[in-house]
Amino acid sequence: MGRDDGKDGTMRQVTEPEKERAQAPPPDAVASGGRPRMLAPELGHAAVSGARHATADAGAGEREPLFEIEHLTVRYGGRPAVNDASLDVAERQITALIGASGCGKSTFIRALNRMNDLIPTATVEGTVRYHGQDLYAPEVDPVLVRKRIGMVFQKPNPFPKSIYDNVAFGPRVLGMEGELDGIVERALRRGALWDEVKDRLKHNAFGMSGGQQQRLCIARALATDPDVLLMDEPASALDPISTARIEDLMFELKERVSIVIVTHNMQQAARVSDMTAFFTVNVDETGHRYGEVVEYDETEKVFTNPSDPRTEAYVTGRVG
Amino acid sequence: MPETRVHFADELRRLEEQTLGALDMVGEACARTLEAVLHQDVELASYVVNDDDRIDGRYLEVHQGILSLMARQAPVATDLRLIAALLDVIRSVERMGDQCVNICKLVPLAGREPPVEREILARVERMGRQAISQVAQCKHAFARRDVALAEDLVRQDDELDQLNREIFRLALELGDGHHAREWGMHMMLVARQLERIGDGAVDVGEQTAFVVTGLFREFTDASHPEIEARRVG
Repeated sequence: MGRDDGKDGTMRQVTEPEKERAQAPPPDAVASGGRPRMLAPELGHAAVSGARHATADAGAGEREPLFEIEHLTVRYGGRPAVNDASLDVAERQITALIGASGCGKSTFIRALNRMNDLIPTATVEGTVRYHGQDLYAPEVDPVLVRKRIGMVFQKPNPFPKSIYDNVAFGPRVLGMEGELDGIVERALRRGALWDEVKDRLKHNAFGMSGGQQQRLCIARALATDPDVLLMDEPASALDPISTARIEDLMFELKERVSIVIVTHNMQQAARVSDMTAFFTVNVDETGHRYGEVVEYDETEKVFTNPSDPRTEAYVTGRVG
Repeated sequence: MPETRVHFADELRRLEEQTLGALDMVGEACARTLEAVLHQDVELASYVVNDDDRIDGRYLEVHQGILSLMARQAPVATDLRLIAALLDVIRSVERMGDQCVNICKLVPLAGREPPVEREILARVERMGRQAISQVAQCKHAFARRDVALAEDLVRQDDELDQLNREIFRLALELGDGHHAREWGMHMMLVARQLERIGDGAVDVGEQTAFVVTGLFREFTDASHPEIEARRVG
């Protein structure tokens, strides 16, 4: 796919037209009533249509960038958790983030929908562009960011409510128009759960198996019709069959939804993802540990012929 | 319970189709090769030589696909045996393609009107038809996981070996004429390559049995013919 134009193999060179576009406010970015808001996704697509031309020389057939992340550093209490990470995430692909504990991959994924905003001591430097728009620009509303960019966590965390109310929760909060029953059914179907629960929608979600609960959480995230799903270890608490069902579901979803997944399970990254980023842990002179991106490439390449010896050592299991 | 890992199953199926499709390509190459030898068709021979790039390309494609699937999907049990077998089969296929090329490279060396000896040429033709048939049979055996059909390849391969020996004997008897002996030696080389193509088909048959039974065994053991004779006899 020819993504690695940078010498370090982690980022694409930013072309001049792209820089200009990044600096200029998108035409619809300034809210007319002064209320912060997230830009409409249609506009996001329009904003990157120019980027296709700008990157055409870099590699024909390259997918449109969904996220363009440049020099991202996230600090907790002034100390970096992930340092100077740069990579592009393509649309309608599954991108896996792998690496040992403490390498910053969860911090990184949380920066993609501004979840780190919820941590008082967290600060974010660098740029995260989503469909060409700066995700951290002052006019952007983080709540609407999370509507477009949903998240699924390691432990299934359904609300203590009925299956129906779990899925309807997001649409209700957002005042989404349309018939709620239809929204819930569509989300449960996309979550590959409808046939199993259609006769007990009013039952408490806690009565479901772990695998079903996790698929419910995916359906709940899908109910607001996001175009990105961030998944932080979505199958690490599940048995192999439930894991396989989640992975199959990811394949179906990626026709319409881009997925970024953090996983400790290298084999899972190898199985499901199109692109893989390997993060490693560095230790600074004060003994502080922080993460950085070592290698970012097509998954097949990372698992058959990685470029960096640190990646090789990790994927072959020779170092933790 | 619904089937899981559907994507992996699809990828594995596609790799098998690509591999067995390569056997069709080799079957066509064999047919053209035989045609070129029987009619001293230098142009057709040159076509086969160039067209082998397609088979080589398929080999690289399947090889890379297998590497990727092994690295990414960690196949086990029957899936693992199938992948190991496909790697072996595609290598046999690639070699059979090369054997066609070897034959076709001999065609222009014989000159425009070679001193053809009918007895020998008739046997070369029978060998060629036999080799083509074995290539088709090994493909069907593998695709259907039909061990009996795979084992039947040994019987057919014995005929190929027999014809090969007869061509050798007839070539020895060709007499003193330089051109006649040169042509006879070329036909011996052709026969040897056809015989090797038959061996390749038997190799594919052995892989079929391996996928089905989980045990690898050679259908015939060239280095221990006495054991083989006891088994058959």
